[in-house]
Amino acid sequence: MRFILSIILIAFIASFVEYFLPWWSIAIVAFVVSFAMAQKPAISFLAGFLGIALFWLCAVVFIDWSNNHILSGKLAMVFKLPNYSMFIFITILLGGIVGGFAALAAAILRSSEKV
Amino acid sequence: MRRIYGVVILIVTISIIYLLDNKIGDIPALGRFLDPVNGCWASAETVNRDFTAEIRFPELKNDASVWFDDRIVPHVRAENDHDLFYIEGYLHAFFRLWQMDMETRAAAGRVSEIIGNKTLNYDRGQRRKGMVYGAENSLNAIEKDPRTKMMMDAYTEGINHYITSLKFRDFPFEYKLMGFAPEKWTNLKASLLLKYMADDLTGYTEDIPLTYLRDVLPKEQFLLLFPEKITGSSPVIPTGTIFDAATLAIPQVPDGAIFPKFEAENKKISKNNLPVFAEKQDGIGSNNWAVGPGKTQNEAAILCNDPHLMLNLPSLWFEIQLQTPDRNVYGASLPGAPGIIIGFNDSISWGLTNNYRDVKDFYSIKQAETDKNKYWFAGKQLAYEKRIEKISMKGMPDFLDTVNYTIHGPVMYDDHFTAPGNYNKPLAMCWMAHNSTNELLAIYLLNKAKNYNEYVDAILNFQCPAQNMVYADRLGNVAIWGQGQFVNKWKEQGKYIMNGADSTTLWKELIPMRENPHVLNPERGFVSSANQCVTDSSYPYWYNGYFIELRAWRINEILNSNKKFTIDDMFKLQNDTHSLLAECTVGIFTNVIEHLKIPLNNVEENYLKQLKEWDKELGAESKAASIYQIWWYHFYNDKWNATLKRVPENLFPLPERTMQLLVSEYYGNNLETETLKTEKYADDDVILKSFKETMDSIQKLEKTIGIQWYMVKNTTVKHLSRLDAFSYQHLKIGGWSNTVNAAKGDHGPSWRMVVEMGKDINAYGVYPGGQSGNPGSKYYDDFLQNWVEGKYYKLQFLPNNKEQNNNSFKSCWTLHP
Repeated sequence: MRFILSIILIAFIASFVEYFLPWWSIAIVAFVVSFAMAQKPAISFLAGFLGIALFWLCAVVFIDWSNNHILSGKLAMVFKLPNYSMFIFITILLGGIVGGFAALAAAILRSSEKV
Repeated sequence: MRRIYGVVILIVTISIIYLLDNKIGDIPALGRFLDPVNGCWASAETVNRDFTAEIRFPELKNDASVWFDDRIVPHVRAENDHDLFYIEGYLHAFFRLWQMDMETRAAAGRVSEIIGNKTLNYDRGQRRKGMVYGAENSLNAIEKDPRTKMMMDAYTEGINHYITSLKFRDFPFEYKLMGFAPEKWTNLKASLLLKYMADDLTGYTEDIPLTYLRDVLPKEQFLLLFPEKITGSSPVIPTGTIFDAATLAIPQVPDGAIFPKFEAENKKISKNNLPVFAEKQDGIGSNNWAVGPGKTQNEAAILCNDPHLMLNLPSLWFEIQLQTPDRNVYGASLPGAPGIIIGFNDSISWGLTNNYRDVKDFYSIKQAETDKNKYWFAGKQLAYEKRIEKISMKGMPDFLDTVNYTIHGPVMYDDHFTAPGNYNKPLAMCWMAHNSTNELLAIYLLNKAKNYNEYVDAILNFQCPAQNMVYADRLGNVAIWGQGQFVNKWKEQGKYIMNGADSTTLWKELIPMRENPHVLNPERGFVSSANQCVTDSSYPYWYNGYFIELRAWRINEILNSNKKFTIDDMFKLQNDTHSLLAECTVGIFTNVIEHLKIPLNNVEENYLKQLKEWDKELGAESKAASIYQIWWYHFYNDKWNATLKRVPENLFPLPERTMQLLVSEYYGNNLETETLKTEKYADDDVILKSFKETMDSIQKLEKTIGIQWYMVKNTTVKHLSRLDAFSYQHLKIGGWSNTVNAAKGDHGPSWRMVVEMGKDINAYGVYPGGQSGNPGSKYYDDFLQNWVEGKYYKLQFLPNNKEQNNNSFKSCWTLHP
């Protein structure tokens, strides 16, 4: 349950914060939420990854759909990817990794506080 | 232990973020770039975007409106000129900011700031040819006139209002891709953009190559191959037009060593060490014409224009309508400069083609032997004026270049920056674009001119780049001016590099602009231009230039016919792909091969048959067109390589001159006889050799991309970043530089416009691109397919009114002070 809550919190807060702060604010959000939720490192990583990935996925799919894939198709070519969905996938993967690592760092640091 | 582990992961996280927040090589800062909220995704424009908005601009004096039609062409209504140009600036920036930024950086020699040292030589060249110097001079003139100062200031304010409103999120995404940010706009930038156009149109010069050719070729051969005026030219001002007598005395050719020897001073040139000169710019050119009411079905004058420029995305042009109570004008504007450059208002219409009279000359500078800060002029030593050009480079220390200015102009080339052909003496450049001229005043006045006299008064301010300015009005007048500021030169002044130490080589008097070649309502009922020679030899002043004739012959042949023309005929002529070059030469080619009776295989027979049945149209899908063009290409190169062994390829005589020589060789001087002489000719061997090469090329192409003409020639429209993803290749369009529809590789008709100036104004236009500069917008390239197919949009020319029927528009901006 806390896992699901973490994902939702990360996704929700990040979507709010990123509107005002640079992109790496997603890492701060994942870090803070993960620190507060105090879960096992592996679970935390997954929550951070999925939280950011979920938020970016929703945002990107909505934007891309209303854009008829015009931009994503062209950018896929710039980055030598086979199609626009790969470009979306890379975007989300990248956000997920940043969120996941930030959350993982927080979880380990938090658990080291207790010992 | 866990803590150390945690800290390590934290450091890893921060490192990942750091890496993703910085540009590495050509890869943008990926984190920032892919961020769905602030990154590139912010440029993915909703296809149903409604532009409707209510915007407050404190700088406006009155309320104003902008209506967007279904192609998002803005129709601006303002109550005064200030507000009008303010809004135009805002709109240009709103749709085209990155492009304006790039073009003005390119003009100013500031590309290295964002690219790094790869572009240093380009930037140096821009600085050394005095681009910034010229732009500053013109800005002085612009700001001296209250009308153009107001125009420029308001335009800059509008752009800056837009720029200051931007957050990183709103930047055009090319900024995010390349990793730089928009900077404040200035009046100088607009002036630079105008000089950028002047450079594109008058920057080309053959002075250095011609100097070289004059020295390596026998005089008769030189004159035969490179005539100043080609025989049979159909000039811009029709033959037979009576020119007023010159009010200035025509200067005598001075005595003395006015031309230095090129080769004598440069012994390094040998057969194996040919100088490299810039490519011949036969892609830049344009067509315009105006047909008087006596020759049109609706008995109204029709004006047409298609300037052939670089085909880029975002397009060079931006369509707009501008209204105040005392002006109502529609046409193509240049993002980066206020006003409308080519278009029509409720009384008159006008169009431009490049006038290739030479306005850029080179002087050989004799350095003072004892003092490197001085040079010789008229027996005295004068000090250079030094201008230090600081070129910033991304990730490198600044580069400082000192440019020496002489009485003639800047020393563009010296031993630090060598001229084409390894000419290693200092060469100064004297160029009309350096002068303090105010073309913007011409645009300002032209946009609201009501009749022929106001039109003439307006264009008399247009000095550089020289243009053939065509005119048509609703009263049925048609006219054309070979307009620009020219120098009263002695014969051959400036045709070759001149001796800069001799005062007789200086540019002296300027020709009064009213004496520029022009004609109003000529007897033949139409006016036209296509970069050909401006006048016949009865024009009193001497000039030279880089004139080309093929398109002009074709256009005048069509317009001279007894037809009553319609708008559809004009569309057809702008898209005409009939090759006069082919008409005159393909018969010679095929006949020679038959006469020579060489054994041909089936494939070769078949190609030859296709050529004989060919209609001489360079249609997009034509295979014969490819065979012919490749054959011509090989023939042309083989012929001149054989005869002009020491002349570099891009200095060969013009194709039309080559064609004339070939025709007179095989037919005598009478094409009408249509009987080819049967004896053996010098060019038989060249034709045979080039035939073999053509067969070889064609068969190779058949195995790869095929031989349809559009595949072979590959007309492309390239994004300014040169990235393929935002560009288009192999567009299915016919034509070439020898046809009216001059769609070449990367140059072509950049704005096709047809305007019927009758009781109603019926205007049509199309350009290869779209109104939005954003590759993530559906309006980025939505005109392209229609342009390729030769289709036009009906231009919505709104009546001059504060209110419009809002229902007929997609969206509307309501603007308040």
